[in-house]
Amino acid sequence: MTVALAVPDVLVARAQAGDEAALEALYRAFETPVYNLVRRMLRRPEDAEDVVQETFLEVLRSIKQYRGEGHLWGWVRRIASTKALMRIRRDHVRATESLDEEPGKPGMHVGANIDLERAFEQLSETSRAVVWLHDVEGYTHEEIADQMGKSVSFSKSQLARAHARLRRMLDEGAHA
Amino acid sequence: MMHCTMEDLGALRAGEASVWARRHITTCATCQAELELLYQRVSQLKALPALRPPRDRWPAVQATLRAQRSRRRRTVGAWSGSLALAAALAGILLVQPWSQGGKLHAELSQAKQQSATLEDSLQQYDIEGRVLSGRTAAVVADLEDRISAIDGTLAQRQLETQQAELVKLWQQRVDLMRELKHARATRARYVGL
Repeated sequence: MTVALAVPDVLVARAQAGDEAALEALYRAFETPVYNLVRRMLRRPEDAEDVVQETFLEVLRSIKQYRGEGHLWGWVRRIASTKALMRIRRDHVRATESLDEEPGKPGMHVGANIDLERAFEQLSETSRAVVWLHDVEGYTHEEIADQMGKSVSFSKSQLARAHARLRRMLDEGAHA
Repeated sequence: MMHCTMEDLGALRAGEASVWARRHITTCATCQAELELLYQRVSQLKALPALRPPRDRWPAVQATLRAQRSRRRRTVGAWSGSLALAAALAGILLVQPWSQGGKLHAELSQAKQQSATLEDSLQQYDIEGRVLSGRTAAVVADLEDRISAIDGTLAQRQLETQQAELVKLWQQRVDLMRELKHARATRARYVGL
């Protein structure tokens, strides 16, 4: 999904002054793109909803610090992706799962006619995050590595592994 | 025959491929097809429809923002109130004999101490950045508003308020803070903190 969101400067200024109607207007403007971004990164819808709420609390609390450098959506997106990655890291720590580990589903068989969206959902959250941020949102590997607290080569290898897995699942689905 | 790995294909897409990969792709139909599939997958990912949130989270966000604003106001009010209260108490104690003011003074000190202790213990349930349900956030916001109102009263009236009334106000504050602590502790348990 390509997002080209333009928010009037006057709306941002009103939000910075604490106008609640303007804060709600900002929320409404970015609600769906933020949800779409974090939902693509996170496996569970309820986690995505929580991250949306955390993101907007941060955005609306920090809007006074937004100086207008760059697109507002870029700023909001950065906060959302950082929070989603924090959620992934926290959940992995809780589950004592390595960050780069595929979740694995023993015996999982991808049926016929699997589409890309379903195949994408089978990826680990780390892989989903890297693929989505790089291929759809246009983040560089350097930016992803920085946000994940990992190396550039980690980001590159995650992307390659994820695409290899997608390729395999789609191929198996087509020939099942 | 050796073919491009997915890393090679990704590097080709990014214009960062090795000399070998760049040369190989010009002659290998298999790898050309794989690279084309990679481009197609990325295009398809970009074209996926936007997923829309199943529920409206604005009421919860709004309630939490209001609670945070209220808390900030309360903090400012509490500081100014405490400073003015200290000055007022000093004046009262200077003009009242210990026999009359001593008991009330002790009760006031105790209520202030309890209030400070509750303030400290509430720090561990600090909700900034955490998710609250709309209902919980509303309860917290209401309690904080009521505490804020008491702080406002303390800050504005203490100079002409009798010590007994100050004690009563501080004790009300302590009661509300206990309720607030209970609300936050319940939520903290819910989110597994």
